[in-house]
Amino acid sequence: MTLERDIRKVLIANRGVPAVRIMNTCRDKKIKTVAIYSTPDRLAYHVFLADEAVHIGEAPPHDSYLNMEKIIKCALERKCQAIHPGWGFLAENPRFAEMVEEAGLIWVGPPSEVIRLMGDKIRAKKIAQKANVPTIPGLMKVKSPEDVLHWMEEEEVTFPILFKAAAGGGGKGMVRVNSVEEIPIAFEKARSEAKKAFGDDTVFVEKYIERGRHIEVQILGDKFGNVVHLFERECTLQRRNQKILEEAPSPSIDEDLRQEICYTAIRLAREIGYYSAGTVEFLLDPKTKKFYFLEVNTRLQVEHGVTELITGVDIVGLMFDIAQGKKIPFKQEDIYPNRHAIEVRINAEDPKTFNPSFGTITRLEIPQGPGIRVSSGVYEGADVPPYYDSLIMLVMSAGADRAEAIRVMDRALSRGLRVEGVKTIAPLLLSIIRHPDFIAGNFSTRFIEEHLPELISAFREKTADDEVLKIAQYVAEISALGPQPWM
Amino acid sequence: MSYIFVKPGMSPREIVKKVRELPGVAFVSVGMRDAGQSDYKNRLRIFDLKTLAPYYNEMGLFAAECHGGARWHVGIMNRRESPFEEIEILRELMPNVLLQTLIRETNMWGYRPYPKNIIEYVVERVDIDVWRCFSFLNDVRNMRVVAEVVMKRGRLFEPAISYTVAPWFDTKYYLKVVDEIVDLCGGVDEIILCIKDMAGVGTVKSVSELIYAIKQKYPELVINYHRHITDGLAIPVLVAAAKAGAKILDVEEDTLCRFYGHSPILAVEAILREEGIPVNLNRRSAELAVEKVREWIRDYEWAESPFKGFDHMVTKHKMPGGAFPSSFEQAEKGGFLHLMPAILQVMSLYNQIVKYFDVTPGSQITWVTCSGIVNRYYKEFGETGVQRVINLLKKFVEEKKQDFSAMEPEEQEELLQLFRQAPGDFKNLILGHYGKLPVGWPEEWVYKSAFGEAWKEKLKERKETSALENIPDEDLNTLRRQLEEEIGRPASEEEFILYLMHPKDAIDFIKFREKYGLAPLVLPTKVWREGLSKPGDKVEFELEGKPYCIELVSIGTENDGIIHVVLKVNNKTRVFEVKTPRAKKEEVRKATKPNEIGAPISGTVWRIGNLKRGTLKVGDIVHKGEEIANLESMKMENPILAPFDAQVVEICVKLNQMVEEGQLLFVLKPLEER
Repeated sequence: MTLERDIRKVLIANRGVPAVRIMNTCRDKKIKTVAIYSTPDRLAYHVFLADEAVHIGEAPPHDSYLNMEKIIKCALERKCQAIHPGWGFLAENPRFAEMVEEAGLIWVGPPSEVIRLMGDKIRAKKIAQKANVPTIPGLMKVKSPEDVLHWMEEEEVTFPILFKAAAGGGGKGMVRVNSVEEIPIAFEKARSEAKKAFGDDTVFVEKYIERGRHIEVQILGDKFGNVVHLFERECTLQRRNQKILEEAPSPSIDEDLRQEICYTAIRLAREIGYYSAGTVEFLLDPKTKKFYFLEVNTRLQVEHGVTELITGVDIVGLMFDIAQGKKIPFKQEDIYPNRHAIEVRINAEDPKTFNPSFGTITRLEIPQGPGIRVSSGVYEGADVPPYYDSLIMLVMSAGADRAEAIRVMDRALSRGLRVEGVKTIAPLLLSIIRHPDFIAGNFSTRFIEEHLPELISAFREKTADDEVLKIAQYVAEISALGPQPWM
Repeated sequence: MSYIFVKPGMSPREIVKKVRELPGVAFVSVGMRDAGQSDYKNRLRIFDLKTLAPYYNEMGLFAAECHGGARWHVGIMNRRESPFEEIEILRELMPNVLLQTLIRETNMWGYRPYPKNIIEYVVERVDIDVWRCFSFLNDVRNMRVVAEVVMKRGRLFEPAISYTVAPWFDTKYYLKVVDEIVDLCGGVDEIILCIKDMAGVGTVKSVSELIYAIKQKYPELVINYHRHITDGLAIPVLVAAAKAGAKILDVEEDTLCRFYGHSPILAVEAILREEGIPVNLNRRSAELAVEKVREWIRDYEWAESPFKGFDHMVTKHKMPGGAFPSSFEQAEKGGFLHLMPAILQVMSLYNQIVKYFDVTPGSQITWVTCSGIVNRYYKEFGETGVQRVINLLKKFVEEKKQDFSAMEPEEQEELLQLFRQAPGDFKNLILGHYGKLPVGWPEEWVYKSAFGEAWKEKLKERKETSALENIPDEDLNTLRRQLEEEIGRPASEEEFILYLMHPKDAIDFIKFREKYGLAPLVLPTKVWREGLSKPGDKVEFELEGKPYCIELVSIGTENDGIIHVVLKVNNKTRVFEVKTPRAKKEEVRKATKPNEIGAPISGTVWRIGNLKRGTLKVGDIVHKGEEIANLESMKMENPILAPFDAQVVEICVKLNQMVEEGQLLFVLKPLEER
């Protein structure tokens, strides 16, 4: 198992932003890449960027990016040595990880048994308890709404409470409950969403921590038992339980708490024999400054880029090194963050309603300049199909401190980024980073819902370059159609 | 030497004093407003008009009329420029010049009488120096709100008397109106009086007599005479007005003069000079402005009325300035151009029966009423019918001197049908909704004719009060909310005022500008109207001080209602998609009624019905709160619940169909209470 094996060619079992992100590192490491694509993705960015590309199936994810047998077959046919799953799709599917290894391929990720273990949120919680990691009071087995009532009575738990999918993550299958009457519908909704998202309708329930903050620790382990952390990220800003802005380091903890959280994460990672890149998520109660274990994400995270910006480490590169049986090339004390970084997720969604927005990107201007890093999954002219995740681009900024990182992000969003053809949440993101409470570091997971009307009404910036395209649209129409009756 | 004698920022008293001190007369240039309105349907764009501003700035004008009348509405509807932008541009380019508007006393720049609170709100917020305000009924009471707000703001109020020539509108009548105005404005030191001869019918004799009489009674009152040129006799009358004591005359660039506007500035200056009346005018600047007009006026040939030419018969039918040529165009469009002589004849008889002034909105009421009568007779009885109604009216007005009882019974009967189908505005007019008629209400038979058997009831409703008293205030917050709902964002103060004037057109305007930005302000008129015609054609302009260039590369052929146009925008090639009127409109049915269930979010309908009962079909009964479908969007579930107990009438989507927000999913029929 610790034998070094070279990866000269890898199949990226993903699309969009994660596929492109991984291919960039592969290019640096001179690893050839094979992209897979569904029918509507035939001309997608990740297909262009790869060295080879294979059509994998029709649009629905089950026929394409979730089609395990076919993906492995393609990897073998194209003579790949490894598969990188990216994030989403099959990244946390232990069966797929097993199948990859059974096929003689390298799985660029953590051990399949760890994925399986951590994928069961109930078992994960139990292991955390065993490793002396604090967890949120909860009821592990919920068979009926009555179970919840009994538990609340016995443990003297008060509303709100939160249903979660045992097999879940990423906010899917999570339903908040504020009153007794809501329990039955919420229970059903959580079960059904869990079933749909993860194929398993087991749910559990926890006390809902009011104004909680999401803090997660990036960990890296190699196959020799070395585990390091790359410090924490703050992922508190969410809408519908999906993160949209992340930053590192966290503005809500001090140095002592930072050390405590990071070493708690390492303790847990060691307990479960983790290798590759992963994340231990915690919920911080801002009132008590206590933190609780939430889950382990056994994969590369969307927001890994902010950690790379503050530490200078290429996490994807290290995932390949670790997968090839190499040791982590540095020690914990070699890593010290000396920047503040922020990432925003540019989702193709209506910034007011969060309704997904599909179509062709008719204009795309990518932010540039000092302190900006962009990880795009699209290009000008690309289609955003309705079948997949709405993330089209990550925009990151870095600065000497948080204020500077915010200023750089402001420049990136207000003067740099332009997306037309599909709606994006960029205007909302810009209002968020300009909001006094955000600037003061004073926010919770409910920040967006609490401030939505105010965020929506925030001022919209226009530049002459945007204006001239409107004028050009007019010139185009009149040139084509001639004088109009309304004139 | 500088000709600038009045400037924005001066108090009204100071301005009036400066005009009184002038040795001769000063001009108002109407080149930026009325000139366009009378001959070019208000299509002259600020892009071109602003080229005159540097000359105006040196010219020594009393004021530039650049705002109001129909220019406001045509601006947002046809030119797609806002009156606020125009003011801002002109303020910057001609800081020496007083900006003048023309405002209707209760209808302002719109087409309905506004309540007091709207008038106040709007007048307080429009940055104009000289407020020329008129009432088509000369009901001075109606001017009160505009007068009060303007004077309180320290701006110059210029009340106008609507002027025409008719036996019943004699000098005594006009003097009474002037008395009322002086009364309303608290004297003559802070106002200028305008005599608004909107049809251009004043004669040397009538105008001289009126101005002498006014000056006799109010020697200190400054008078501005405004006269259209339709009858071909304007210049001698302007000279007469100046001799009689008018201090200000309305003129426009010689090169803008056509047939329905105002007298040429250079010509009027020359004749006054010859008559020994000094004119405060930098003639060189005026000459340059006249020349400047030539650079762009030919771009507006499309906007000019095809019905050109003076017509002294205006003294009979009294149609004002631009209304005259545009009525011919309306008649042509409506297919009754051949009836125009008859309509004009009926108008000249009608205005002796119902007496008021043919200026907005009166001129529209006259036009619709009279063209309606003639058209009705033509449709029912042909040419002979038209002749019959003219003969009937002639006999009644000219022969019988409007003695109803002197008419034959069958003629009486016919007169009693004359106004039965008159427009609602005509009926409102004679019921006093606009204010009191200038020389009394029409005869009883007019009411019988308009209202039939209900005439007595209606007569009781007739109001003697000012229009201002009749209209309740409206809730501005509600109106603002309505606007913001329509445009989906907070509205600026200026957008809100546009909305108050013309709700529907303002929304169209705002949406147009959101889509096309500053196109109306930066594109030359030829490009604005026709676009770029051949590859290599380009248009250059500046935005925020930076240069831009749009160059045509190619225009594709139409395919499925779409034309692709390739343009270089600052050298970068871009493809623009243009939908032609033939573009297929994919109609998505939207849920609009309470019994129609729409998608709360765009997504996929992955389940119809629910887990317990399975799928639904038409005819099924569903219960309030029961899940009837589930939408998946970005991997989140969104249950659709029945809002009441109901029977499924229609299921408008298929399983796994993609739907957009608001798209109709179900039609339900509520179950009857048992």
